[in-house]
Amino acid sequence: MVDSIVGPVRDAWTALQGHLFFLPPFPSRLDTLALLSLLLVTGLLVAEWLRAHWGWPRVLGYVVAGSVFGPPVFGWINADILVQIRPVADAAHGLLLLEAGRRLDLRWLVKNRDLLRGNVSDIVLSFLAIYFFSYLVVGLPPAWAAATAAVTMASAPAVVLLIIEESRAQGQVTERVILYSSLSAAAAFVVFVVVLGIVHAQQSNNWANTLIHPLWAGGGAYLIGWLISRLALLIAGRLPKRSLAQVFVLVAMALLAVGIARMLAVPVFLTLFLMGVILSLRDEAKVLSYTSLPEGHWMLAIILFVVVGASLPWRDFTWLTGLHALGLLLVRALAKLISLALSGGSLPLGKRLLVGVGIQPLSATAVFMAFEIARLYPEIGASALALAFFAAAIMELAGPVLCRFALNRAGETATEKVAPGGVI
Amino acid sequence: MSDALEFTQSEPLTLGVELELQLLTTRDFDLTRGASDLLRAMDYDGRNGDIKLEITESMIEINTLARASVDDIADDLDSLRGVLVEQCARNNITVCGGGTHPFHSWPERRISPGERYEQTYARYGYLAKQFTVFGQHIHIGCATADDAVWLTQALGPYVPFFIALSASSPYVDGVDTYFQSARLNAVSAFPLSGQCPVLADWNDFLAHYEFLRDCGIVASIKDLYWDIRPKPEYGTVEIRVCDTPLSIVPAAALAALAQCLARKLLRERPVFHPGRALQVARYNKFQACRYGFDAQISCPEKRRQEGLRESLASLLDVLGEEAKALGCQRWLDVLRRSLFSGMSDADWLRSRLTVHQNLHDVVRDSMDRFRELRHPAT
Repeated sequence: MVDSIVGPVRDAWTALQGHLFFLPPFPSRLDTLALLSLLLVTGLLVAEWLRAHWGWPRVLGYVVAGSVFGPPVFGWINADILVQIRPVADAAHGLLLLEAGRRLDLRWLVKNRDLLRGNVSDIVLSFLAIYFFSYLVVGLPPAWAAATAAVTMASAPAVVLLIIEESRAQGQVTERVILYSSLSAAAAFVVFVVVLGIVHAQQSNNWANTLIHPLWAGGGAYLIGWLISRLALLIAGRLPKRSLAQVFVLVAMALLAVGIARMLAVPVFLTLFLMGVILSLRDEAKVLSYTSLPEGHWMLAIILFVVVGASLPWRDFTWLTGLHALGLLLVRALAKLISLALSGGSLPLGKRLLVGVGIQPLSATAVFMAFEIARLYPEIGASALALAFFAAAIMELAGPVLCRFALNRAGETATEKVAPGGVI
Repeated sequence: MSDALEFTQSEPLTLGVELELQLLTTRDFDLTRGASDLLRAMDYDGRNGDIKLEITESMIEINTLARASVDDIADDLDSLRGVLVEQCARNNITVCGGGTHPFHSWPERRISPGERYEQTYARYGYLAKQFTVFGQHIHIGCATADDAVWLTQALGPYVPFFIALSASSPYVDGVDTYFQSARLNAVSAFPLSGQCPVLADWNDFLAHYEFLRDCGIVASIKDLYWDIRPKPEYGTVEIRVCDTPLSIVPAAALAALAQCLARKLLRERPVFHPGRALQVARYNKFQACRYGFDAQISCPEKRRQEGLRESLASLLDVLGEEAKALGCQRWLDVLRRSLFSGMSDADWLRSRLTVHQNLHDVVRDSMDRFRELRHPAT
């Protein structure tokens, strides 16, 4: 359909080029900026419409927009466009994970040991439940079952943060949802790096790579995160707290970390998350603690989730894989709820279970991690990780709804309607 | 219906203190929603008083038991503070004093669960959220209802002293209000705030209360937001004009001032003209809120103005005998030091802003100050 419209225009343009010297060749593809603006507006309109008419969380609207306009339905966002737009999605994802890392307060675990127990059991139980389900029920080989567990065990800090911002949630369930999702994401990053080594070992006999690649990915991310966070604190310390200049420094340093991580083939999400955690832990003088990312970074989040939506492999859907994915999500949900139920702590059982519901999202991080493995092992990665992809795809839709339900049910979201306007 | 308001007799000059405190995030020291979760999880046996919800979820109130001495009040406050600090740590929030939060956004406040709070919100709308301000209330025990009504009015002229000594709310909405205590401006928006009218005795108070109730203006004694009011259910007079100080020591010291003053007034029963006092009360209150120790107070008996600082210094001297009898001299010394140094809590907050150049760090310092040791310097 696109060709039938563009074809005659292209012909006319080419004909004119003989007469008008200043005309460039007919553009073979959309300029990146134009593409970004189209994705932004499309995602925004779909999300606002779904929110206004059906009350859906906006992030869900972005994903739906990506899925509808991506390869599964209309195909307007094709594989080339996804490659072209990927750096922006990486940056958006990185900024959201930086924020998640900055909000992660590890000192809380020392003050409240019940939380430590709860988090450890969430991580261990989720991994084991998914691993055994993938291995015993689905029949994946052990290494790929481990890879599936690594990719899907964690919650999605980016989705959680967007839902919390959107619903202006405040309170203990909210804080714990952030803590649990950030920590499980951190654990998933570590497990993922280890699993990468195992997969290497299975796919080749190159043991040097098997050992060095996880170290490169994990150690590199930590080193870049550490260096850039120190640099950020050093520069920001010379500027007034909460000043616009500090905001620029924070964003610039985050983008620098994204750039270096991409240059060195180190996972961007892990690098930015660690940078956030180090900023939170090492900023004793509260140099950057009061400085927030600009509202505009949510604009990047729209692009991120449109891209995630367009990346979901809906075309490869089979009923069996779908059923397996539902089973995986069920055991994952049970593992998280049981961990929360048994963890005790300074919240009543009902609210702990709501935390368990609130951390169900599984999203961009999982999809990108799965892509990472699929990229490294194109022959088998995509098919072996179909289960993880579908679980992520289902939760891409259900996760935001569950998270918002939990925060609403806990009475922590703002009840008053605010005047329309703004993205969030 | 007058039987609904029975005055419970209490031991004269016993004290009780209520402090409304701020619940903050540890991330940026803004107010946060946390009170009901905190209370639900609290493992506390009530040995030193009570910990309660307030109108919004970012506030929490500690109440001491009724005590005969200021030392015991200080012990209660210290213990309640310890419980609160520990419980807050488990929820990764923190607590501090001060009459206002310097930069919170009032529309973000959440009304606490409970029928009373919901009714208040329904009745007063946004005022209820703006009422996220933090005060200290001091109860003084009275032997009879008539004593309580008399003392309520006799304490009226001393309101500016309590305001100036406790002032700790110079910042609202992120700006310096130029007031030492801006908290009371939020209170004065309520229709039943202000001063108690001229009342002859308890029966007169009952008649006034029933009149307001029959006119549909009040439903309970809690609807009277007077600066000082009788509290029949406790058998006390309640002084409600103080900002919550930044630490426990001045809170106990203000209770000492109230106790000494009440003792002197009840013992000497000076002749005074409540009607005249009422005419200058609003002006004097404004002066104390705006200028603190530098206020100029109108004196209706002498028909002239006097400096608050000098009048307060004289009063503290005059109360020396009462303090000796009640065993609370060292607590009055705390107030004397504050007066002579000229450094109220409001001034201290401003000095911290000069150092930090941002209000987040000012609140952080307030949080640290709230954890100070309780005993006054000897």
